[in-house]
Amino acid sequence: MAETTPERFDPLLMAVLSRRLEAIIREMSNTVMRASRSAVITNARDMSCGILTYDHRLICVEEAMPIHVSALELTTRPITALFDDVKEGDAFFNNSPYHGVTHHADMTLCVPVFADGEPLFWVLSRSHHADVGAPEPTTYLPYAATLYQEGVHFPCVRIQENREDKADIVRIGLQKIRAPHVWYGDYRAQVGACRIGERRLKALVAHYGNETVRAFVDAWMDYGSRRAEAAIRELPAGTWRYTCSHDPIPGVAEDGIPITAEVTIEPEDGFITVDLRDNPDCVPGGVNLSEACAAGSCRIGVFYNLDPTIPHNEGSASRIRVKLRDGCVVGRPTFPAGTSVATTNVNDRLINAVQCCFAQIGAPHGLAEGGGNMSAGLGVVSGIDDRDGAPVPYVNQFCVGLSGGPGTHGHDGWLTYEAPDGGGVLVIDSIEIDEAQYSILMEERRIAMDTMGAGRWNGAPATQGAYRSLAGPVSVFYCSDGDLNPAQGVLGGAAGAPSLNRKREADGSFRTLPSFHEERLAPGEAMHYRTVAGGGYGEPTARDPAAVAEDVARGWLSIERALGVYRVALVRAANGIDIVVDEERTRLLRAWEG
Amino acid sequence: MSQYQVSIDIGGTFTDCVVSDGSRRAVVKAPSTPPAFEQGFMDALALAARAFDADLPGFLARTARIVHGTTVATNALVEGRTGAVGLICTAGHPDVLTLREAPRKRAFDWRLDYPRPFVPRNRTVEVRGRIDARGNEIAPLAEEDVRAAVDHFRRCPVDAIAVSLLWSVVEPAHERRVGKIVRALWPEVPVTLSHTLNPIPREYRRTIATAIDAALHAIVPAYLGRLEGAVREAGFGGTLLVANCQGGMMTVGEIAARPIHAVMSGPTLAPIAALALSEEPDIVVIDMGGTTFDVSAIRARSLIRTTEAPINDDLLGLPKIDVRSVGAGGGSIAWVDSGGLLRVGPVSAGADPGPAAYGRGGTRPTVTDANLVLGLLDPDYFLGGRLPLDTDAAHAAVATVADALGLEVAEAAYAIHVTSNENMIAAIEDITVNEGIDPRESFLVAGGGATACHIGEMAQALGIERFMVPGVAAGLSAFGGLVTDIRGEETATLHTSNRHFALDAVNRTLAALHERARRFLERAGVPEPDRRYEYAFQARYKYQSWEIEAPFAPAAGALTEADVPALSDAFHAMHERIHTIREDDGEVEFTTWTVRAIGTGSRAAAAGEQAAAPAGGRLPERGRRAVYLGEERAFRALPAYDGNAPPAGAEIAGPALIDSDTTTILLLAGQRARTDAGGNFHIDTGGD
Repeated sequence: MAETTPERFDPLLMAVLSRRLEAIIREMSNTVMRASRSAVITNARDMSCGILTYDHRLICVEEAMPIHVSALELTTRPITALFDDVKEGDAFFNNSPYHGVTHHADMTLCVPVFADGEPLFWVLSRSHHADVGAPEPTTYLPYAATLYQEGVHFPCVRIQENREDKADIVRIGLQKIRAPHVWYGDYRAQVGACRIGERRLKALVAHYGNETVRAFVDAWMDYGSRRAEAAIRELPAGTWRYTCSHDPIPGVAEDGIPITAEVTIEPEDGFITVDLRDNPDCVPGGVNLSEACAAGSCRIGVFYNLDPTIPHNEGSASRIRVKLRDGCVVGRPTFPAGTSVATTNVNDRLINAVQCCFAQIGAPHGLAEGGGNMSAGLGVVSGIDDRDGAPVPYVNQFCVGLSGGPGTHGHDGWLTYEAPDGGGVLVIDSIEIDEAQYSILMEERRIAMDTMGAGRWNGAPATQGAYRSLAGPVSVFYCSDGDLNPAQGVLGGAAGAPSLNRKREADGSFRTLPSFHEERLAPGEAMHYRTVAGGGYGEPTARDPAAVAEDVARGWLSIERALGVYRVALVRAANGIDIVVDEERTRLLRAWEG
Repeated sequence: MSQYQVSIDIGGTFTDCVVSDGSRRAVVKAPSTPPAFEQGFMDALALAARAFDADLPGFLARTARIVHGTTVATNALVEGRTGAVGLICTAGHPDVLTLREAPRKRAFDWRLDYPRPFVPRNRTVEVRGRIDARGNEIAPLAEEDVRAAVDHFRRCPVDAIAVSLLWSVVEPAHERRVGKIVRALWPEVPVTLSHTLNPIPREYRRTIATAIDAALHAIVPAYLGRLEGAVREAGFGGTLLVANCQGGMMTVGEIAARPIHAVMSGPTLAPIAALALSEEPDIVVIDMGGTTFDVSAIRARSLIRTTEAPINDDLLGLPKIDVRSVGAGGGSIAWVDSGGLLRVGPVSAGADPGPAAYGRGGTRPTVTDANLVLGLLDPDYFLGGRLPLDTDAAHAAVATVADALGLEVAEAAYAIHVTSNENMIAAIEDITVNEGIDPRESFLVAGGGATACHIGEMAQALGIERFMVPGVAAGLSAFGGLVTDIRGEETATLHTSNRHFALDAVNRTLAALHERARRFLERAGVPEPDRRYEYAFQARYKYQSWEIEAPFAPAAGALTEADVPALSDAFHAMHERIHTIREDDGEVEFTTWTVRAIGTGSRAAAAGEQAAAPAGGRLPERGRRAVYLGEERAFRALPAYDGNAPPAGAEIAGPALIDSDTTTILLLAGQRARTDAGGNFHIDTGGD
């Protein structure tokens, strides 16, 4: 028989049950991705699923977006606080940043899982919907100073009873949200996922019994805690600070928003503390963090520096202490402060600040800054598609250009990184799928030369591209942090190139656009974007010359920069195409430099 | 004079050969001989001839057909030994193979390198010219760019050229023209055009398949040429067919022209073998080898296809039969992580040094070592006694894990055994639950020599009550080659919707696909009465972007207006089965149409048959062996029976062992094995 104390829980059964739960979440996520309608969910995979205990302890996430799931307990807690009659067959819908949700576009469905009449779990599906009924057709509103400018909120409402939709609640969304059939299809995909998760968990409990499953949960949390503790014990003791700055937003933060993280490592106790209290107050715009984002991002920045196989559950999170302040831009916002853009911009700067504190320890620790990005490569585009006769209005976020990841010790940055909050799990749009679904022509998408943050290990390069409408005019919303303040390098590594948003006029001339902006494109005009490149790690002159040659061969680096920045001399091979290191000249160049 | 039917499956370690003469079946194994795989092929034929007391020329003279499942394409890809490819792409989009659809990674892991593209960037050339999603020409093809590309590739040089332009699946004019120019300028270089190889939207998937096909042109045709030369020289005058990734066979010429179809050709035969061995509608087929565990599923007697088969850091891009491999084999190494959790694999001890028990210098504990410690394997009767096992070495290796876990050695061995089961169970669940299949409602067929001592516990954990260990378990895939069909498929992209269904255009497409399918069967020499055609569409709700496939059966190959609601209903039902939800008034978009060509009569007559075993016998007992039983957490002496050439109708009640030359079956308490006339073991378990 299985032992029931956490310390002595049957290790075999623990492996079995943890794998089963991961498989359940994989199945839920697969359902959301394949059955949803919004491209940002179904193509870019901007969605996550998770399982918590009924008393709000995070058990498991799988292939999820880190920002979606790193403080999930804040999302389920309001349900038991607000309802004293939670019953089997209910489902709760929530997109309120003041009820534990990350931001208003991350509409979240929570379903309680009962066994023998007893509530045991929450299964949860969080999807980034393409529209939330805001005054403008976008889910990123940097100028929305309060919640009243954000569109529709479902502040933790019961949307299903007896596994049936409550038509009156659904009607609110159907009226308020643009392209309501798309919204409803996305919501139903979440219902499908949660009901699959519920069914699988009930079967699991029926098979193993309530007591064994409860004992497993305790042991699993304990395991997470021990793994995190073991990893923290290997780090040096001390306190490190790091500051990075969000770009200026006109009328909201004229001088930008500096964000400072202070990380204290106590290896002997196995704890890490992240203190965010020394940061500015909330700003009169939509870039304030929700509490779920602030708390989650502290954990994310730490977890990025620990062994990635540590389970990201309540146990491991308990080794990370987070200090937040009320009314702070990266803390607990004061109602009704706007948090429309809470998951990305300032939030990405916060994760960068936390992860870069570890680089202050010195090699091999830490990461450089990764590119945050909300350039027009991730623009929310709306227009009318009349290619098939009847005009069809659409609004959707494209995900055609992702930002470059940070260099770290031993590895260059991840190319399809996108942003610190995403963990590199977003999928880049297929050009053909976008063009089939919307009347848009993606003229170009390529890796941008000479944009990498140079280092011994480079930040990943930016991606650049251009698109235009094939039907009538379109509107493009974006809030492009990184046009001014690039992703910095660490330990001698250089900054990556900033982002860039330009309009190509009908006459072929280019005009640079503001960073936080709505632009209307007439037929014949095109939007050109470039994402943010990642920062480098370590001195570029220490980079392996063969890696520099490869960067030139693949068109990521010019021969001139190879020489000027990396001090590597390259020549063409006999075929005039391949690139070879001139070893002797490189040695002399680097010796002279050193 | 009897006629032989031969099937040879070349794997990474062994070349399996199954021969039938209509009344007797033999399984022989020869070591694989990479990279000259044809040598192992000929060695296996020589062993097969000996098994039938014939010399090789005499044996081959009486062999009507050889079916070949080959790992040569898979191996070349995994080891990066394919030809150099030049890629021609649409201007503005040179990084399709680098960006992919963003490669999958663990969210919290940054200590990893971004994978390199299949075709290097400086072997990729952009050509101007653009078609849009509706097939309109936005910009004309710049033919001077094509000529410059050919010049560039000649200088590189490359072995083959792949052409993949945006929207060539809707309007192939530009891609065709590029192909013509390339062939005119450089006639001897193989060229693969994306719209002919893999006519699906999603540029990454189409492009990677095109590039892989081009790269294999340098490997597969030459290999098949050498192979056919060797076997013809040895006296073979019959038909040589190659298994493809679609679950069928093609002629040598056909597969040499589209070599990507040879990827995973061997493992794809395993589910076909299971279909022949069992009448069950829903089957899970597993095969545990030395380093990998292959799993596939059959639903309602149909093979399951996937569009997302992985290969190295890429997708294969081409739809194929869904056979998944995970790093969980007999050689997988057990270790303990920093939190004290036991892990098994994915690192494998491989063939060298192999498990500690092989006595070749291995010291790290593997699943095979654990099984030996547990008494599941007889050290003196492994592979029929040809490879004696070192029990002390296995014990010492497992002890390292036992110390770290604070367990007794036998307990640790059992932990390794069960963790390995869990890895395999996860792979089984991946191919079942993710596709909406409940494994408990499936029958399980276990192939591979190492599987049978794990299967009882895995079945119990999955809630599977009935399973089969075939007599040909150790050569399951090769057996599949004896019982498979000629099979090919033709696909076209045509967007339409149930709101304004383009009936005429769809019927024109179906007719064109049918004609191509008919010609495929004609080329393979399939006589008219043996030709069969299956139809399928891929569809989605409007604004979804992932399609679901559903079969349909148009009368006389054409649809009528009255058929359209049935197509929608088939889609709603399939969507509900997979995702639990449906939207009956939702607009259904149809995107892709497929006709599969099947030559049924090509199946070797009676190849699956063999003389029925005599009924009413019993299995001889070999003695008793102490086996560690998980439920009791203790060793217990179990009877061990001889499972070679079993009589029909014999019954064995668990707990017990059944040993044969190539496998050991562990029956748990409550499980009963019964033999059939075909030499297969059927196990019933009462559940738990």
